[in-house]
Amino acid sequence: MNRRRGFVLIAMSIAMLLLLAVMGLAFDLGRIYIARNEAQVFTDAAAMAAASKLDGTKAGLDRAREAVARLPMRWNLGTQEFRGVIVEFSADGAKWEKEPDNAAPIAMASVTAPNNAVEITFLRAIGGPNSFVVPAHAAATSNPVRLTE
Amino acid sequence: MKRRGHALIELAVSAAVMVSCLAGTFQFGYTFYIYNQLVTAVGNGGRYAAMRTYRRDVEKSRTAIQNMVVYGNSRPENMTPVVPNLRPDQVEVEWVKDKSGAPTAVRVAIRNYPVNAVFKTISLDGRPGVEFPYVGRYAPEEREP
Repeated sequence: MNRRRGFVLIAMSIAMLLLLAVMGLAFDLGRIYIARNEAQVFTDAAAMAAASKLDGTKAGLDRAREAVARLPMRWNLGTQEFRGVIVEFSADGAKWEKEPDNAAPIAMASVTAPNNAVEITFLRAIGGPNSFVVPAHAAATSNPVRLTE
Repeated sequence: MKRRGHALIELAVSAAVMVSCLAGTFQFGYTFYIYNQLVTAVGNGGRYAAMRTYRRDVEKSRTAIQNMVVYGNSRPENMTPVVPNLRPDQVEVEWVKDKSGAPTAVRVAIRNYPVNAVFKTISLDGRPGVEFPYVGRYAPEEREP
């Protein structure tokens, strides 16, 4: 009698753990994949926006940064703004700089959204992390404006 | 006899908890899956819209962009939408123009699409949406090459 009662408790706790894991997979992984996708679409658009402003002048670089900051796209199911977005420039696609000294040869722009931390809800209960960062990166050439990465 | 009743109550309680958890899991999982598909579709449509040659009569462009989002192809042969029951008229395409009327950006978003997750229907309006800079050729008159 006593042994059987204990069994239900153990079975229930194992089942609850499994259930939490399944819920975590559906809910948390779902959100992570969406955030990753949203960040990638944002960086694609931002890299194209930045590249389209490049004209070989310092003012062009400023306009490129402004164009990235002005993009209205959000992440986390369209609710949160992208923060800490990094805009870099390059002449050849090999050496990237945030503030290039000579703007004349700059023909490429890259955008990285590094800080998109999705808060974990269910997977945390079975030993998962508190949050999961999904960074995204894209680069584009100017004239014509095309994505390269 | 007493023991059997006990087990029945236990089953009833645990089944209620389990079924509601599984139903919720399905509902959120399915909705997130559809939303993710839509993010990809709208992103692809936005990128396509950004590069398409701009004509004064935008309706042709609008149809092609809507088809790109819904069917993954601007001239679809296979009319299976990327997510169930999505129609081209549920895709909003909007050009942002400067003073001269030339487009500077293009916005693509989903309008009034209900995600039917069996237990609950969630309506997506304006989300997911993207804004891409317009980088295509500006040729408003149709006779231009």
